[in-house]
Amino acid sequence: MGAEGTSPTPSGPPAVRLIGVSKRYGEVQACASVDLDLHRGRVHGILGENGAGKSTLMKILIGLVLPDAGTIEIDGAPVRLASPQDAAGHGIAMVHQHFSLVDQLRVWENVALGEAGALRQGDIRARVGELSERYGLQVDPDATVGSLPVGIQQRVEIIKCLRRDPSILIFDEPTSVLTPAESAQLFDTLRQVVVAEDRAVALVSHRLDEILRVTDEVTVMRRGRVVDHTGTGSTDAASLATAMVGRGVSLRSERVARSAADRGADRGGDRVAGVGPAADDPEPAARAAGPDVLHLDRVTVRDATGLPVLDRIDLRVRPGEIVGVAGVEGNGQRPLADVLSSLLGTDDGEVRVAGVPVTTGSAGAMAAAGVAVVPEDRHDSGIVAELSVAENLWLVDIERVAPAGIVDRRAMRQRAAELVAEFEIDCPDLDVPLFSLSGGNQQRVVLARELSSNPAVLVAAQPTRGLDVGAIEYVTDRIRQAAEAGLGVLLISSEIDEILDLASRIVVISDGRIVGELAGHEADRARIGRLMAGERA
Amino acid sequence: MTADGRSLDRLSGLGGIIGLYAGCVAIALAIAGLLVEATGGSASEVFAAMIDGSIQGPGRIGATVGVATPLLLVAVGTIVSTRAGLVNLGQEGQLYLGAAFGAYAGTKLGIAGPMVLLLVLGCSVVGGALWAGVAGLLRYRRNVPEVLTTLLLVTVAAQLVGYGLKNQWLLLAPSEGRANRQQISQQLDAATRIPRITWFGNEFPISAFAAVFAAASVAAILAWTVWGLRLRMLGFNPRTAKRAGVSEERYGGLALLASGGFAGLAGGVMLAGGDFGNYTLVPGFPVMIGWTGLLVALVARQRASAAVITAIVFAGLRTGSGFLAATGVERRITNVVQGLLVLALLLPPALLVLQQRRRAMQAGGDRR
Amino acid sequence: MSGVLSGLADVLTSEAAYINAMTFAVFLAFGATGEWVAERAGTLNISLEAMFLGGALAAAIGMDRLGSEPLALVAAIIASLTVAAVQANMSHRLMANQFVVGLTLNILVLGLAGFLASELDPTTRQSAPNAIPLLADIPLIGGALFDRTWLFYLIYPVVPVCWWLVFRTRWGLEVRASGENPQSVDVSGIDVNRRRRQAILVAGVTAGMGGAYLVLGAVGQFEDSIVGGRGFIALIAVIFGGWTLRGTLAGCILFGAVLSFRLSLPALGYELNGDLLASLPFLVTILAMSVFAKRVRAPAALAQPFVRGLR
Repeated sequence: MGAEGTSPTPSGPPAVRLIGVSKRYGEVQACASVDLDLHRGRVHGILGENGAGKSTLMKILIGLVLPDAGTIEIDGAPVRLASPQDAAGHGIAMVHQHFSLVDQLRVWENVALGEAGALRQGDIRARVGELSERYGLQVDPDATVGSLPVGIQQRVEIIKCLRRDPSILIFDEPTSVLTPAESAQLFDTLRQVVVAEDRAVALVSHRLDEILRVTDEVTVMRRGRVVDHTGTGSTDAASLATAMVGRGVSLRSERVARSAADRGADRGGDRVAGVGPAADDPEPAARAAGPDVLHLDRVTVRDATGLPVLDRIDLRVRPGEIVGVAGVEGNGQRPLADVLSSLLGTDDGEVRVAGVPVTTGSAGAMAAAGVAVVPEDRHDSGIVAELSVAENLWLVDIERVAPAGIVDRRAMRQRAAELVAEFEIDCPDLDVPLFSLSGGNQQRVVLARELSSNPAVLVAAQPTRGLDVGAIEYVTDRIRQAAEAGLGVLLISSEIDEILDLASRIVVISDGRIVGELAGHEADRARIGRLMAGERA
Repeated sequence: MTADGRSLDRLSGLGGIIGLYAGCVAIALAIAGLLVEATGGSASEVFAAMIDGSIQGPGRIGATVGVATPLLLVAVGTIVSTRAGLVNLGQEGQLYLGAAFGAYAGTKLGIAGPMVLLLVLGCSVVGGALWAGVAGLLRYRRNVPEVLTTLLLVTVAAQLVGYGLKNQWLLLAPSEGRANRQQISQQLDAATRIPRITWFGNEFPISAFAAVFAAASVAAILAWTVWGLRLRMLGFNPRTAKRAGVSEERYGGLALLASGGFAGLAGGVMLAGGDFGNYTLVPGFPVMIGWTGLLVALVARQRASAAVITAIVFAGLRTGSGFLAATGVERRITNVVQGLLVLALLLPPALLVLQQRRRAMQAGGDRR
Repeated sequence: MSGVLSGLADVLTSEAAYINAMTFAVFLAFGATGEWVAERAGTLNISLEAMFLGGALAAAIGMDRLGSEPLALVAAIIASLTVAAVQANMSHRLMANQFVVGLTLNILVLGLAGFLASELDPTTRQSAPNAIPLLADIPLIGGALFDRTWLFYLIYPVVPVCWWLVFRTRWGLEVRASGENPQSVDVSGIDVNRRRRQAILVAGVTAGMGGAYLVLGAVGQFEDSIVGGRGFIALIAVIFGGWTLRGTLAGCILFGAVLSFRLSLPALGYELNGDLLASLPFLVTILAMSVFAKRVRAPAALAQPFVRGLR
């Protein structure tokens, strides 16, 4: 399904034109002066990492979010999209990533949800049948949505969308939940919608392969800005990957950590199958000598439907080594971090910390074993925003400042004050609730707590996401220093630069599996990009 | 809506907020007053009588303290479970079952004395905790929402205790002692009652001190101990809590047990304290103290110190009704006053939150 | 035990027992049907008790002052709707905690009922039955179902109308969706909190009818203990019914029967402690929820406030 020749050169005004659209959430610029045209009969790919601003942009388009600035034109006329109904009135509909379906309702009921007028069951069912037929989206209108496999649920979502006969369709990460076969079928549908029915389609995705396969033109976003706009035919995976993850902020080029890390890489470079050498010797002395501080042995996690989200992951981290886990968002990074945060139990395999097997999914077990975690979303599992700065600095090992179960406020505050000074946390008082601090300072609190707990290994997941330049440099330096001091680090990131800058060894994760491994010095952007895009090493 | 919003914009700072509260309370009292006047009563007399009955009259503060004691105990327990992120609506039943356990221990074991009093109170705690424990078990083993089970168990508790009160081998007093009454327990022996003391002409059971002590202890435990910190963690952010080693089952379950235990203790204190039911257990014994105590905790927004004051105010409304007979106005007007007051206290924070949201929306231009 | 069984047999063949059972059951059903709508929208509406009592009080005063049963019914519905409007707007517009609002309304209306009943002392009489020809002659149940006051007969349209509203109208579809997944409903462009408020108002209407039936059709005079916690029993009937209308009605009939058996068994000369019998349905409810967790499923967003933008 090449892009060339399938669609005529657009004539007349575009179906949708965004001019200078901006949106800011607090300190985060979600969209910065974005220009975008969607033409009838064409699929426009919108590519970018999570947090690049594409979701916000699409929410603006369907009336869920009002932009701070900018104009939206539909067929050349400026419009105001203040609600989903407004957007629907202008013929815009969206296939939501997490769906807008209610699991407990039947298919036809879901399709009818959000329309106006009398509820005529017969009409709706007939229409569902018709649409199923026309687009090859077979689905039983009387089935309860929650009982359907996720791929079929998406058909329902698409039918719900198409039932309004929209002229402009937005697909938000549509394949994130689909098998390859389902994806292929989805793209057939998408082609039909575009070519045969002359609708305009925006395909929002972070997957290079599908953008290349399906779209006619592609816009790449990064940190809220459009960084590239090109015809799909005139680009390739590597250059798109480069644009997507970008150079962004210039990280320190002198790779201080490299020398220290290389020592680790020499030992850990070739992966030996079987049990780690120090499995039976958890003594700290032995740890320092170089055995694995973290060893994931064929770790497998399945989702509710039985599909593996982590598939036989083998990973080793040695002291002083930074192992980078590179990969496109949504390929197993989250469950990997969750397993190491005791939030998720494994279905198979074993996690060993400093040679000792740790029960997975049991509250606090990983932390107790010495796994420090800087989570991807600190609000999800890194902080308790309502508690004070001092309390947040002691969340995990509060017992150390609480002899006999009673918190020694003075000791707590004293240690907290030291950490605040050491990690340059900008806070007016140790007792203010953490939510009153800026995002960068909240992240420093997490980092300070996790690094000061004397861990065996540090897991840092997307540690610089959403931070400003200064904070990024700070966090990066801290991680590097920790490794130099002998800590093993597992860096999970979708920022290639971050990984290249820090990691002494790089593994690439795709579809919950490790698809390749490179030593830090032999890694380059293009190779990682290709692996990330799903090509096997 | 917009008009409301605009007028709210002008409210700024502490003065505005205090004014808002004062205004709402004044409106609530005015409605109650109008109601009294409209039915031919005198509002000023009614309010004077209520103040008389709750604090001003001789010994009335003692009566108010006696009522506030179980209210506070229930509220303290509720604070614990609410802080853990749980919704316990079953205090009325937990309290009743606690009182029943206490009554059994105090009247059916054939022993009496100060040590038996401790046994009575201990059994009340066990009774209440047991009842909340059922909900906890169902929550953490069978995934049944505690909000439904606790509510359901209120009714079951009433029926179980009703059954007990009809059977002499459980709670019913021997026939010679009950003068033809069908459902009544034996009176607690004088030695098994909570001692009452008199301060400046106000007589009340010493359990009042225990309740204040309990409130202070719970506040301290929540604020100062590892257990309390972890419980708050669980209530605010269960995932962060789990990562940090807080087992939801262990901490949540314990919080629910504590909540029920305090409600049960409130039942025991009512039974042995003398301000309710004359040291006997009868049908309808809880007289909505469980429900009101729950309300105290929620109105006090889970702060023990605020709960002390709220409990006293609510108790005052209750005892204040005692002196209304002289004014010829039905005493249950105090329930109306109480209800209107709570609604009035709910309004300002809600309006302020609305105002904040509206501002945020304007600032961000964001519809959601 | 055999005494109990033969007692039960006597009750089952006594027309009076059916009449008593249906009196309680229909009273519960008025409230439970509306409560079912409110819960399907996601509100655990514990002010049902206050709605019942407010309705009963207004019906008594209305009957006393206006002397007309239809006007008394209108008064009851207005009073109950007022309670519902406070609950709805406080909890789903001002976003106050729904249980605080519910508890407060229960206390407030209980006080109001005691106060006004004593100040106004409304006198009412029992509404006269109108037998439906032929149907009323059905043995055993004819009298219980078809020889009743017109207020009783209101349940016959109320139940199917509520069912139709919830399952056959767009409004009902949106109500059910709001109780299950408010985020999706919101994304689909529907005002979740508005639907929830409206569903509570439906409960207000039916509970008002229930209150009027209770005071004019069942008891004949007002007292402030007339509802006496049965609002909670109607609420539990919804839970018992697993949030289906059929189950809810079955719950009402079962609870009604149990409530009345407690009264009729002793009257028939049997010694039975009704309390254990009375607690059985509740224990069954709890058991059902824990054993058939998959089948007996609460609306997923029940008792959870919906604030836009919080995902």
